[in-house]
Amino acid sequence: MQQARDSGGGVQKILSIITQLLPIIIIGGLLYAGFFVKAEAVITKVEPKPIERRDNFFSIITPTEQIAWAAGTAGKIVRSDDGGKTWLRQPTPTLVNLQGIAAWDAQTAVAAGNEGTILHTNDGGASWKLANTPKSENPNKLFRVRVFGDTAWAVGEFSGLYKSTDKGANWTRLLPEDDRALNAIYFVGQSGWAVGEVGSIMRTEDGGETWTPVETENQSSLMAVTFRDATHGVAVGLTGTLLVTDDAGVTWRVVPGLTREHLLDVIWDENNWIAVGDKGVKVTSNADATEWTAGRLAEGDVAWRTQIVRAGSKYFVAGANLGILEDGKITVVGR
Amino acid sequence: MKNTTFSKVEHAFALLIKNRMLVVLAVLIATVVMAYLASFVEVKTVFSDLLPKNHPYVEVNQKFKSTFGGSNMVSIMVEVEDGDIFKKEVLEKVQKLTVGLQQVDAVDTYQIVSIASKKTKEVRASTEGVESRPIMWPRLPADDKEMAILREAVLNNPLIYGPYVSIDLKATLITADFLDTEINYSKAFDQIMGLIKEAEGDGVLVRVVGEPVLYGWVNFYLDETIQIFFAAIASLVLILLLITRTVHGTIIPLIAAIISACWALGAAKLMGFHLDPLVIVVAFLITAQAISNSVQLISRFDDEIAHGTAKASDAAVASAKHLFKPSLLAIVADAGCVLVVALTPIPMLEKISYIGTVWIFAIFIGALIMTPVLLSWFNPRKNADGSYSHRFVHPINIRPVLMVILNLASSIVVTKARFVVLGVALAVFAVSFWYSFNLKVGDANPGSPILWPDSQYNTDAADINRQFQGSDRMFVVVAGKEKGSLREPEVLQSMANFQRYMEAQPEVGGSISLADILPQVRRVLREGNPMYGELGNDAGENGELTYMFVSGSDPGDMDRYADSDALNGAVTLFFRDHQGETIRTAVARVQDYVKQNPIENAEYLLAGGLVGVLAAVNEVILAGQIEAIALALLVLVVCCTVTFHSMVAGVFFMIPVMLSNTITFSYMAYNEIGMNINTLPVVALGIGLGVDYTFYIVDGIREELHLHDNVEKAILNCLTSQGRGVLLTALTLITSVGLWSFSSLRLQADMGLLIALWLFISAFSALFIMPAIVYVFRPTFVVGSKERPIERAEGSAVVV
Repeated sequence: MQQARDSGGGVQKILSIITQLLPIIIIGGLLYAGFFVKAEAVITKVEPKPIERRDNFFSIITPTEQIAWAAGTAGKIVRSDDGGKTWLRQPTPTLVNLQGIAAWDAQTAVAAGNEGTILHTNDGGASWKLANTPKSENPNKLFRVRVFGDTAWAVGEFSGLYKSTDKGANWTRLLPEDDRALNAIYFVGQSGWAVGEVGSIMRTEDGGETWTPVETENQSSLMAVTFRDATHGVAVGLTGTLLVTDDAGVTWRVVPGLTREHLLDVIWDENNWIAVGDKGVKVTSNADATEWTAGRLAEGDVAWRTQIVRAGSKYFVAGANLGILEDGKITVVGR
Repeated sequence: MKNTTFSKVEHAFALLIKNRMLVVLAVLIATVVMAYLASFVEVKTVFSDLLPKNHPYVEVNQKFKSTFGGSNMVSIMVEVEDGDIFKKEVLEKVQKLTVGLQQVDAVDTYQIVSIASKKTKEVRASTEGVESRPIMWPRLPADDKEMAILREAVLNNPLIYGPYVSIDLKATLITADFLDTEINYSKAFDQIMGLIKEAEGDGVLVRVVGEPVLYGWVNFYLDETIQIFFAAIASLVLILLLITRTVHGTIIPLIAAIISACWALGAAKLMGFHLDPLVIVVAFLITAQAISNSVQLISRFDDEIAHGTAKASDAAVASAKHLFKPSLLAIVADAGCVLVVALTPIPMLEKISYIGTVWIFAIFIGALIMTPVLLSWFNPRKNADGSYSHRFVHPINIRPVLMVILNLASSIVVTKARFVVLGVALAVFAVSFWYSFNLKVGDANPGSPILWPDSQYNTDAADINRQFQGSDRMFVVVAGKEKGSLREPEVLQSMANFQRYMEAQPEVGGSISLADILPQVRRVLREGNPMYGELGNDAGENGELTYMFVSGSDPGDMDRYADSDALNGAVTLFFRDHQGETIRTAVARVQDYVKQNPIENAEYLLAGGLVGVLAAVNEVILAGQIEAIALALLVLVVCCTVTFHSMVAGVFFMIPVMLSNTITFSYMAYNEIGMNINTLPVVALGIGLGVDYTFYIVDGIREELHLHDNVEKAILNCLTSQGRGVLLTALTLITSVGLWSFSSLRLQADMGLLIALWLFISAFSALFIMPAIVYVFRPTFVVGSKERPIERAEGSAVVV
């Protein structure tokens, strides 16, 4: 006990107060913890990637070699400023599927989709605004939107043919409704062509004021049409349908039996005609559109593609996924 | 202890020893009966025992598991080494496995899915419209042309290409669901493994994962587990023999362990409980506790003999008298801590808790009563110098080694080193307390933490998750307000958006629902135009699309997506792992989505499937862990307060417990051992375990102070006498627990190490830290005060 006294009276006093209070605090604390404290899990925040697994991109456009804009499922628009290496998602005010996108330049673009939705931007996509579109009782599904000169054109179900002359803000309907969908449109100057369901083709000579139907032997739906000049054009469609014209679309010749797969888009890349479609199919020809060969876009690639665009030495493809084709090799973005 | 209590205990044990034949006979008969009962205790995993009671997720799982797929799913991956799976011999194997699975016990024959099953269909346009037909049922492609068609069909179907055939076409998946209530894991495991063995070879690799397979593996290692259990007990005996060098010091602890084990397991049978193979390590822990109690008594008995007690019965009574209080306190506190586990509403934990409590109380009979009674037979012989001792069975004497450690402990208390020890202890406590918050609830690793990372199961799991979207599933029920709700575009669109939202989490490999199927059908209907691969415009169109998909298929084929009334449907999410973190994030995200995107016609119900059930288990454990730890500590505080009539005592004894807790939690966090259904009982037991040694030391100091009032002398004497018992048990137990690290089950190895760590910290604090605290702070419940001085004892044999 001698040593106990030696260790100091003041300290002893404080200690005794602490030792008297401590048990009560601790027991109270335990009771409280036991009955009232519930652990809360800390949840890590998840940021969705710009391009997700579930995404389909129905359309893509490249206003410059380095800039690409793609539109697809659930109102998604993504943009790359570095030739497709990195992509950024752009906020849009819609969740409907977007089926088409077109651009005048790096700043100004339009996108179109289901329920008559058209979006337009003039700030490079930092903000996409809903455009004024005439809508009717039918689903108003829009497929493609294209830009020719200052005018933007959109096509869709029920002979949907719309036009905007103010960079996509306001749209007017040009044709009365009928049960036939229009799937694609193309203009060279004042000459224009629109293709659609059951092989329908229409042409205009006056910048789209009046449209004349063109009769062909083809009954399959046409999905895309492109002209390399005012007279030479190619239209493609379901079950490998391939039509060629050498007279500004007055008459069309059917190129038979290259593939049974759907062809969904066709472009003129300054050297060749290239058509893409279902199951990775690719159909190409020389400028005359006389020697067609069918193959695959890339070895082992089986995804469906609804659009192909060229950007310098590369091609961008949109469809089941977003792909970049370079030297015959395809890189799928986000995989 | 008061002299009156002392004499009561003394009388009781004197009486017991007087009638020792009778006592031994009675205990023997009871033990034989209990052992007979114990032999009927089944060692098996019962899945329903793992499910928290009354948890909403579990209720959803139970209600919908038969349609949307339960938690007992097995995934088998058939992988080719070269080329792709589109070869006749490979597809033959897939078909054979698919058919073979139907014969496996307790399999849900309606829930076997592979490319060879009737359920896997493609929708295609035909002359009559749209038809859906199985892609590879009932027969395999006959020639190259048909093979090419099959290949195209697979590639074009996002419901198959990805979920059931890997992107690189090198692997295909077969999944089968088992009925929770009927499954016998080892039987199903043997049959599945048999099928796999047959299928493997010829350049084909077969991998398999799933809870039935996991528990199958655990059962597979049951023999090994039992071997390790007995090897650990055997090593215990050997070490006891080595250290004590006496027959009684070796055999009696073993008898104590056997008696308590028989009683506990017999009682388990009487209560209708079975034993889960994964908690055998808990059984070992309690057995260790029994041995520990017995060894303390024997150690004291030997001290009495060494100090001149000639008769074994006298020494036995003296030993029992002096150790009765700390032993009883240790038992009651341990039992209380284990009983707290029963508050966690998971049947398996409740059962473990009850068995554990009974087991610990059985130690009272097996160790506390029987050890002194049996010791009374072991009379010492008189040596030439007039002292008494037992015959040593071997010449190796490691007592000097023990003395070195004990002397070190003593020298720390009397020198300034005590402040260093206290300071270091405080620092360690502070750091480990802070670090212990990293402890995770739920599994902390991908694969199964029960098995080693390089075990076949875990490598199989890694392979399957590399090739596919993830083998662990969770289904979220979309419950419509009325029939037909699931045809509403609003509901279907919400499901599609929900899937997109959930898939943003990297661990979610994919998801599937009705909202994925209808667009496929619609596309086919619209000439295969992908721009129409969308949901229908209205409920009517969606109803038609559903009808087209179902037409020509079996009733019930659609069930895993939605019921035929379109009232309830499911979104099935595939997870690459089931770590606690993954599951918590997913559940929180489901809740976020539902909150931000309310819909009128339906509600989302969490959650079924393995991940859903695990989410429930983790939530219960997360909510219960603080409760369990706090209440276990409270039990301890109350026990000590009552025993020592002092609240300070309660707090005092928390010190070693808190220290061992924070250190072991830190260890778990550092080694990524999660707090889960398997580790929680060990943790709770550890709380009780962490304090026992300190009871013996502090009580020993008090007993010394009955004889004189020199605290320093009391501490030193106690360290050499009681301290030796503590050191002896700790050394013995830590060494034998080490054997568990050879287990093929990682969980048991981990738990073995954890227990060893626990024992080490408790022994260390009992010998080095607590005496120093007593010395420095002089708590009155130990050293007495002027108002309540320590009562002087009557004469005792142990006088130094």
